[in-house]
Amino acid sequence: MSDTTPPLVVSNIHKRFGDNEVLRGLSLTASKGDVITLIGSSGSGKSTFLRCMNLLERPDKGSIQVHGEEIRFKESRRGRELADLRQVERVRARLSMVFQNFNLWSHMTLLQNVIEAPVHVLKVPKAEARERGMALLERVGLAERAQYYPSQLSGGQQQRGAIARALAMEPEVMLFDEPTSALDPELVGDVLKVMRELADEGRTMIVVTHEMSFARDVSDQVVFLHQGLIEEAGVPAQVLEQPTSPRLRQFLAPKH
Amino acid sequence: MLPAWLDFMGYGPRLFIGGLLTLEVALLSLLIGLVLGLLAASAKLSRSAFLRAIGTAYTTLIRGVPDLVLMMLLFYGGQIGVNAVTDWLYSVSGGTIDMYININAFTAGSITIGFIIGAYMAETFRGAFLAVEKGQMEAAEAYGMRPLQTFWRIRFPLMMRHALPGIGNNWLVLLKMTALVSIIGLSDMVQVADEATRANHAPFLFLIPVALGYLIIAGLSEIVFQWLTRRYNTGVLEGDE
Repeated sequence: MSDTTPPLVVSNIHKRFGDNEVLRGLSLTASKGDVITLIGSSGSGKSTFLRCMNLLERPDKGSIQVHGEEIRFKESRRGRELADLRQVERVRARLSMVFQNFNLWSHMTLLQNVIEAPVHVLKVPKAEARERGMALLERVGLAERAQYYPSQLSGGQQQRGAIARALAMEPEVMLFDEPTSALDPELVGDVLKVMRELADEGRTMIVVTHEMSFARDVSDQVVFLHQGLIEEAGVPAQVLEQPTSPRLRQFLAPKH
Repeated sequence: MLPAWLDFMGYGPRLFIGGLLTLEVALLSLLIGLVLGLLAASAKLSRSAFLRAIGTAYTTLIRGVPDLVLMMLLFYGGQIGVNAVTDWLYSVSGGTIDMYININAFTAGSITIGFIIGAYMAETFRGAFLAVEKGQMEAAEAYGMRPLQTFWRIRFPLMMRHALPGIGNNWLVLLKMTALVSIIGLSDMVQVADEATRANHAPFLFLIPVALGYLIIAGLSEIVFQWLTRRYNTGVLEGDE
């Protein structure tokens, strides 16, 4: 019997920064193998939404379930806080994030970056982590760069390295926060190619992106955010080809 | 036995031992200063207003009062304070707790200098912590690292590359500050040289070796700092930052 518990369920997420209510009740369910892309103009809240999923931002309201395990919050004088940091650490280790600015640790080589969390968070033996790390670097085409520091690599190489770092955690869900936005146009292709391969092998992915071709070709579900609300969501053929919302139509209209 | 040219009219061995004492006081103060500096910098960067106030009070107070005054305050005042505590313990325990703690000049000197330099270290560390890119810690958090792991494996080593030049500077200031311990009666090399000069009216014979002693320590520490800088700058391209 296969496990049908969805790896990630978030519901009714609210988040405000001061007077600015950035997220106004967002829900999303990622079933195993789903590729969900979040699109929307800047300020729509898509990155904040993604960052709420692994608690880099603490939602003011709403619930998050990772593989059926509900994140516990507590009310305090300063507002809503995480009730159990150990639980959050455990959950984060199952949701790998790939950042817009890569955020590879700059004082470590690429291989050290890849094995850092497996060794120190998951307590994988070092030799085993190294071996798997090298295999992953091979996969993203960076085996011969294993001993390089991030500053010695191009943006595209850094991002592919960051994807290898994320894969090393054997995550249930991968979160991508505008992974190609900081890249030179000619380097975007290599990163997208790796991401397409990951989607093809059935990984569960949630991707914030501006790459409409990726959203169209790869995702099972496209979610369009506008002012902190889901304006339209569905399969790409529907959402991207026959949008009903005028705002989405405007968003998708060719820019001049 | 020391060779004849290092005899210095019989003061050679004492000068040498005084030099070692200088080094001991300096190293102990450095250790205290680094720990206090890290704590104070963390306090000043903390979310808690109370901790921030304590950190600011410490750095402002220490940096605003002459080192010599602080040293005498701690040496004389510290003994009075410790005596008051032990007396109080004696009376409340009905005589069962009977102890006398003597603050010697070595302890008082090292603690005071460490206390002073800690305030300067705090500013160095604070700036260095702020210079570390936030995304580096965020990645650690996102991969499930514990707060202490994030600190020691990511934040601290990245901070050190920014802090090292300031620490090196503070160390040299501290090293020379140790000359003050002669005031509270510690036989460091300055005190020995002063005594020898008064007795023999030959200032150059005794003070020049002392000056050279400081220079040698400073020179050796330069080598150590270069090594540390190389170590903490792994991953930084020449001309970067």
